[in-house]
Amino acid sequence: MRDLHLPLNQTQRVRLEAALHELQTLAPAAASAAAVTVADTIPVNHEDNILKGHGTTDQDGEVVATLCGVVERVNKLVYVRTLRARYKPEVGDIIVGRVIEIAPKRWRLEINFSQDAVLMLSSMNLPDGIQRRRTAVDELNMRSIFEENDVVCAEVRGFQHDGSLHLQARSQKYGKLKRGQLLTVPPYLVKRRKQHFHHLEQYDVDLILGCNGFIWVGEHVVVNEITTFNEDQEKLSAEVETFTPMETRKHICRLANAARVLSALGFTLTIELIIQTAEASLSSNVKINDMLGAEFYVQTAETEAKRRADLLGRKKGGAR
Amino acid sequence: MSAAAAASGTYTPAAEAGGKRREKREELRRHLAEDADWPRADGRSIHDCRPAFMQTGPTTAASGSAYAEFGKTKVIVSVFGPRESKKAMLYSDTGRLNCSVSYTTFATGIRGQGLENKEYSGMLHKALEGAVMLHTFPKTTVDVFALVLESGGSDLPIIISCASLALADAGIMMYDLVTSVSVSCLGKNVIIDPTSDEEAWQDGGLMVSYMPTRREITQLTLTGEWSDGKITNAVELCMDACGKLCEILRERLKDTAVLESE
Repeated sequence: MRDLHLPLNQTQRVRLEAALHELQTLAPAAASAAAVTVADTIPVNHEDNILKGHGTTDQDGEVVATLCGVVERVNKLVYVRTLRARYKPEVGDIIVGRVIEIAPKRWRLEINFSQDAVLMLSSMNLPDGIQRRRTAVDELNMRSIFEENDVVCAEVRGFQHDGSLHLQARSQKYGKLKRGQLLTVPPYLVKRRKQHFHHLEQYDVDLILGCNGFIWVGEHVVVNEITTFNEDQEKLSAEVETFTPMETRKHICRLANAARVLSALGFTLTIELIIQTAEASLSSNVKINDMLGAEFYVQTAETEAKRRADLLGRKKGGAR
Repeated sequence: MSAAAAASGTYTPAAEAGGKRREKREELRRHLAEDADWPRADGRSIHDCRPAFMQTGPTTAASGSAYAEFGKTKVIVSVFGPRESKKAMLYSDTGRLNCSVSYTTFATGIRGQGLENKEYSGMLHKALEGAVMLHTFPKTTVDVFALVLESGGSDLPIIISCASLALADAGIMMYDLVTSVSVSCLGKNVIIDPTSDEEAWQDGGLMVSYMPTRREITQLTLTGEWSDGKITNAVELCMDACGKLCEILRERLKDTAVLESE
């Protein structure tokens, strides 16, 4: 929200403010009440012995916040969910990262965590698809798998005792990402879901919502479970001839811009919402480059406010 | 004749150019000599602080940032990290806090004059390290970069307050917000939140960095000439001002939290 600096005209400003106000009134009142800043006491019932989670500390028997954010309570656990902090990985998260360094037997990836993540050569499937011990030759050929600055998709495997993060890429769906765009959004906008890989057939586009706030929009690649190395080489030369078609490129840009607009407005990024926004831009004949203009922002905010109002109305209707 | 004079473009500077500033200084000096209570140059009384304007998020590329404007003093602080330590890849249980204070070349009236405040970086580090929970991010560094856009007196206290706001904005775990206020001793008076002119004329200066909720002082700097009784009063005055400044910081943070939690 804060990064929004739009050249709005008078009517657009009024409309945006109205939409945002609408959203604020729709938001549950508890959300704003639970906001804490550093050193605020968090009211707890001391009789049921609570567990102090992330972002809290003990001071003279009181639970005190050490972060700015929203207080979350899960049974006995009390913790503070920050809104602007860096990504905090959990085991099993699907993330998108960028290779920054090749070290012996491992790649270092930048994933918006406080430390660089480590992808071991042994915890990823080799291109030939055969399960075997990694040899010194494999180690020398690491650069042929991922190079520096490649964008890679992987899964969080676990933490080392010193807090550093290990990744794994044990399936064909993980690995190098090419022919597309990488977007970075605040990590709290991506919620953990069952599905983070999305193949949008109507656009021939792959969309990966990384839990770390890195979002990949790229051309759809057909996943072959068994590919031999030689085939890969052949494919490479074939790929040079078959460029990404113009139509797909446009779809990629449109979806990426939809995600940009939504993240700038501070809406949670779900696949449905991204598609809806992209469709809305298509149906109202907004050009791809105009999607980042003021008018489309206002339009998106209004649509979302309306959608949430409808949702709330239906819920209330159902309750009755 | 007159037309020719106009065409040649000659002009005479006003004889009293710069006189106004000199007059103000002269007035301050006179007051000091008389040892009397006097109105300050900007119309405050001796125990009035300048109005504080603070805002989070001016730098979008940083993890957290804050802007502060107290009268003429304008400061911008950006916080990066926690990120992997590049300098020392050695293992350390605690994180590192890396502080740097710099002045723009146009920060002071005379170009490039403010650049000698080298010790400010170290002092900023000392003021903040007690508040930041360094053990929560092992092996990593948090970088705090402060830039003084305009120096109008009490620079360091404002940098410290602004930096703690930026750290909170970046979501870095802290025990409490640190706010800082300085006072100057001029003659028999103790004046709060001094401007550059007043700082130039001070007999002694005192700066207190304080965590109001915890009631802990993270840093105290005393310079110049002070008499016993005045120090106690001055420290208490600073602590009270810090508490009030902290309220402003909290309000700012709460506003952003509510805005973003929708």
